[in-house]
Amino acid sequence: MILNGVEIRDSFAEAFPMVGTRLIITADTPKWAMIAAKTMTGFATSVIGCGCEAGVERELAPEDTPDGRPGVAVLIFAMDIKGLKAVVPLRIGQCVLTSPTSACYAGMEGGDVVSIGKALRYFGDGWQIAKNVDGRRIWRVPVMEGEFVCDHESGTVSGVGGGNILILGTSRGEALAAAEVAVEAMQKVEGCILPFPGGIVRSGSKVGSKYKGMFASSNNAYCPTLRAQTETKLPPEVASVQEIVIDGVSFDAVSACTKAGIEALVALGRDKGVVAIDAGNYGGNLGPYHFKLREIMA
Amino acid sequence: MTGFVLTPRGAFDARVDLTGVLPGASDLERLSIGYGFRRVALGELFSVSGSGAERLTIAGGSPLLDRVAAGLTSGELVVDGDVGAELAKGATGGSVVVNGSAGAYAASELAGAHVTISGDVGERLGAAGDGARRGLSSGTVVVGGSAGLRAGERQRGGVIVVKGDVAEGAATDLIAGTFAVGGALRGLAGRGMKRGTLLLRSAEGLSSGFADAGEHDLVMLRVLVRRSEALAELFGEGLTRARRFAGDLNVAGKGEALIVSA
Repeated sequence: MILNGVEIRDSFAEAFPMVGTRLIITADTPKWAMIAAKTMTGFATSVIGCGCEAGVERELAPEDTPDGRPGVAVLIFAMDIKGLKAVVPLRIGQCVLTSPTSACYAGMEGGDVVSIGKALRYFGDGWQIAKNVDGRRIWRVPVMEGEFVCDHESGTVSGVGGGNILILGTSRGEALAAAEVAVEAMQKVEGCILPFPGGIVRSGSKVGSKYKGMFASSNNAYCPTLRAQTETKLPPEVASVQEIVIDGVSFDAVSACTKAGIEALVALGRDKGVVAIDAGNYGGNLGPYHFKLREIMA
Repeated sequence: MTGFVLTPRGAFDARVDLTGVLPGASDLERLSIGYGFRRVALGELFSVSGSGAERLTIAGGSPLLDRVAAGLTSGELVVDGDVGAELAKGATGGSVVVNGSAGAYAASELAGAHVTISGDVGERLGAAGDGARRGLSSGTVVVGGSAGLRAGERQRGGVIVVKGDVAEGAATDLIAGTFAVGGALRGLAGRGMKRGTLLLRSAEGLSSGFADAGEHDLVMLRVLVRRSEALAELFGEGLTRARRFAGDLNVAGKGEALIVSA
């Protein structure tokens, strides 16, 4: 399939089940809400090394938040509920509780629950106050600045992690510029995050390594400098590859996000240095979710 | 669907115990109810019309109707007129609307239902009944008028809103929960209060065990008025600041009275 000069390869992204939750972080200003959200979702690019994958889902207007202040919705995913229960209170405690004027609320209901105030209230050393209003429990933890307000817990969802697209470009600059355009389009899709720096991975990995103890290593088939030494997936005109990894609350959300990214890349076209769009997989035997590029764009 | 409608056949000569007369109750006309010192079939005192399990209307209230909606778990019960004692006592779900006033112990030991009373209520609104340790523990009760003595006594959770004045001893021994008053307190409010929040227009009437902790911009107030329609109606959706009084310090309580300026 070739669209606007861009080859859509007959490939698929292979993704895995993850458990996720959405949190709504608010603050007195959009700036401080975003600082808290970005700090809280930092060092959360890959579950392999970070224990979770997290990112900013979208900014929220004051009228869309529980306390009427500017807010940011973040999504956090882990491989299982036990892992999620471990990382969520830790991240909120270190990054949101500490962030000036912040508050933290549940962004979804249902499923297993992860603790927010249920765990963090103890910071109040006995001075914390619970409120039950409208069937929901909320905590007020006194802090030096005033009070930290948070919901008792948040619901979770069975999500999908590891959706991806690979952008094969004619140069490093053009591949990155195209990836940035794709990220901008993909970030508009609700229910998804792109957990890597700026949404982009320049070092996509394959499973395993020649070295013991390494779960993942550089995906040499897509490394342009190794073209002469290893089996390559890159045509001669490709000089750089960027990957965009997608985690989402559902298969449909990841699929919509994938489509938004490909459409943005196709709109750029071959003239802007986008040679082909590919996807990372493991032969289809490891992950139950397959995002077939050509089916998505059909 | 209008649900069943109970219309009194005449004035009552004695107190009527409506325990068990709830939306969804079967064979209403033959249901045995207390009437003074004896028991009678409901059909002797009320004519029954309509159909449907989700709603029950008492078309004509009386201060002699006790335990209306007591133990309600679901559905809607509406009274056009006054009711007597123990309205919605121990109700765990559903909603109760009284288009009139209620007697003593209204919403006592409420545990999840939503109760609206357009008029006044008697003593011990949302309180613990005789022998009980805890009063209203969850749910909401909204009183359009004023409340009698010791409203919210031993309240354990939930929300009580009184738009008018509250008589002496409000929130006595309050354990937890939110108690909002739109009018005046008549004294000795919050005595023995352990935790919980009083939302008030003035500190006048608070017991001596409350100490001024200063004026604050509280994010929690923004959440409260967005999650509680009744509080938003009473204080406005723009509520952000309050003067905090901590108490009852005479009993080492960790409760508070938040004074919201008009």
